[in-house]
Formats: sequence, C-alpha cells, structure tokens
Amino acid sequence: MSITLRILLIIASIFSFILCLKRIKQSKLKITNSVVWMLGSVALVLMAIFSNAVEWVALKLGFVAPVNFVFLVMIAFLLMQTFIDNIRISALNEKVKELNHYIALKELQAKNDIEK
Amino acid sequence: MKVLIIIPAYNEALNIEKTVKDIKTNTNYDYIVINDCSKDNTKQVCERNNFHMLSLPINYGLTSAIQVGMKYAYQNNYDIAIQFDGDGQHQAKYLKDLVNEIESGNCEIAIGSRFVERRKPHSLRMLGSNLISLCIKLTTGKKIKDTTSGMRAYNGQAIEEFVKNPSLTPEPDTIVYMIKRGMNVKEVQVEMSDREFGESYLKPIKAMEYMFNMIFSILFIRSTTKKKKGGK
Repeated sequence: MSITLRILLIIASIFSFILCLKRIKQSKLKITNSVVWMLGSVALVLMAIFSNAVEWVALKLGFVAPVNFVFLVMIAFLLMQTFIDNIRISALNEKVKELNHYIALKELQAKNDIEK
Repeated sequence: MKVLIIIPAYNEALNIEKTVKDIKTNTNYDYIVINDCSKDNTKQVCERNNFHMLSLPINYGLTSAIQVGMKYAYQNNYDIAIQFDGDGQHQAKYLKDLVNEIESGNCEIAIGSRFVERRKPHSLRMLGSNLISLCIKLTTGKKIKDTTSGMRAYNGQAIEEFVKNPSLTPEPDTIVYMIKRGMNVKEVQVEMSDREFGESYLKPIKAMEYMFNMIFSILFIRSTTKKKKGGK
C-alpha cells in the first residue's frame, strides 16, 4: 500500500469517528447503531497502520494488489450494513402499518359507540 | 353464518356508490368499505351515503387494506370474509354462490373464477395468469384456473391466518400458503365486468414486477409452508 493511501485512510477514519461521537452527543444517532461505524473506522486505522499484515494476507489470498483487498473488505462491510438497514426498515414499515390499522379500528369503534 | 364483505377502495369515488348499492340490493350480508386514505372524495361519498366505512389515516396499499378488514372480521367474530373490489368489476349476485360453497363445507376458501366452465382468452394477461397457475400446480398439485381473481371468500380459519401472519397478501401466493396449511380451495364460476372509471393497479411495469414477486414468492417462500399442527 502506498503511503498516501495509508494517510488518507487514517484521516478519513478519524474524521468519521469524530463525526459519530458528535452525533451521539447531539443524540441524533443511537449508540447501538453507531458502534458498528466506530468499529469500522477503527478497523480502517488498524489496516493503515499495520499495512504489512494486510499485504501479507492479500498476497496469501491471491489478490493482485493489497489495495483491492482493502476495497473488498469495505464493500463487504457496506453491503452488510445496507442489508441490516433493510431489515430495520421492513420492521419499521410493519410497525407503522400496525399503528395505521389500530388507529382506524379505534376510530370506527368510537364512532359506533357514539351512535349507540 | 355471519358474512362480511370487505371492499378496499383507493380513489374510487366514481365507482364506490354503485358497488355498495349492488351489494345492498343483491345480498343481505354485512359489508365494510376500507378507505385507504384516498386522495379524491371517496370518504365524503361514503359519509354522504352513510356507508359502513373504515378510514385508514395513511395510504398503505391494497394488502394493508385487506388485512385491516380481516382484523375487523376477526374482532367481530365473522365466519366468512369476502374480498370484493370497489371498482365495479365484481358483481354481488355471485357472492352467495361463494358463501354456499363454504357453508356446505366443501372448502375453506372459495374463489370467484371467470374460467371454471369457460376457456381463457389468449392474451398477455392470461399468459401471466397461466404462469402463476403452473407455479401453483407445481408447488401444491392443485389446479387453480383464475389465480388473479380478486373475489375470494375466506372462512374463519383463513381469517385467523390473515390476522396472525402479517406477511399474507390478498394475492395468489396466499392461496398456496393456505393450501399448504391444509385448507381446501374451490373455484366458483362468476362473471366480471370491465372497470368503468379510474385505472387498474396493474400497469405494464407494475405487472412485470407483480409477476416476478408472485412467482418468487410461490416457488421459494410459500412452497415451504408447514402444515398446521392438528389440521386435517
């Protein structure tokens, strides 16, 4: 890995780490949701610092360039995150639907009670 | 038996009056209009005519509308719930045939079908219908001719399934689910008219998406449904 890429990785990770912390303090992000992002940025820093280890693993796995290995790890991480988000959105969707039904049924019941 | 007709309506101000009057004159069953947060004055039309209506605060689609109807049927101890389109395509005079089938114990679910005694016309729409038919045949071994018919009657057991499993839709893949759960499905010959006003849910791209979803769901998801314990 080139020295510029390593520096870039470190800067980006530190930046995202700080951003996460800030958002938690403003309570715009739940702590449980942010842990994954923080771990991700820590992993990036580690990869930048111990680039020799990354290179060794990449070569053993047959990557042409170690940087490809770094990208693959990042893509896998992002895919996982979107999948988890998808599950969360589906669950939220279901909850909103339940509320929608609940409100409508209650309203009808209230109307019927008044008419009686 | 207590029968409830569920009429989902989304922007059906022009059709709903005729549909409900058809039901009132041709049957003596209870009905409920599910207004899925229509943007036009469907709600006002129903209120003006004093129709029995349940009004959803958020638009959530046909599936949600039927599901809330099923919940209502379940809470009020109805024995049979019928889904009936609010767009004027379905005719209420055939409903008693569906109810008779369930009442006489021939089946748990009765479908109002256009093709029991009659042959299917050749069209792109029917090609899709045949494809779904084939998938149902492959997964359950049962032959359902009019899979996309929106006129279906469910008995209490099926209503309960609807309430307990929020993934069930008022679509053909649910038929597969119900058959796998050990219920009998029967088709009854009905006539359907063309819709007079408004647009159908199914436009070309939507239709493709619909087909893909149905085939995927039938082959990979509903086909692995386990039979209910203690069922027949």
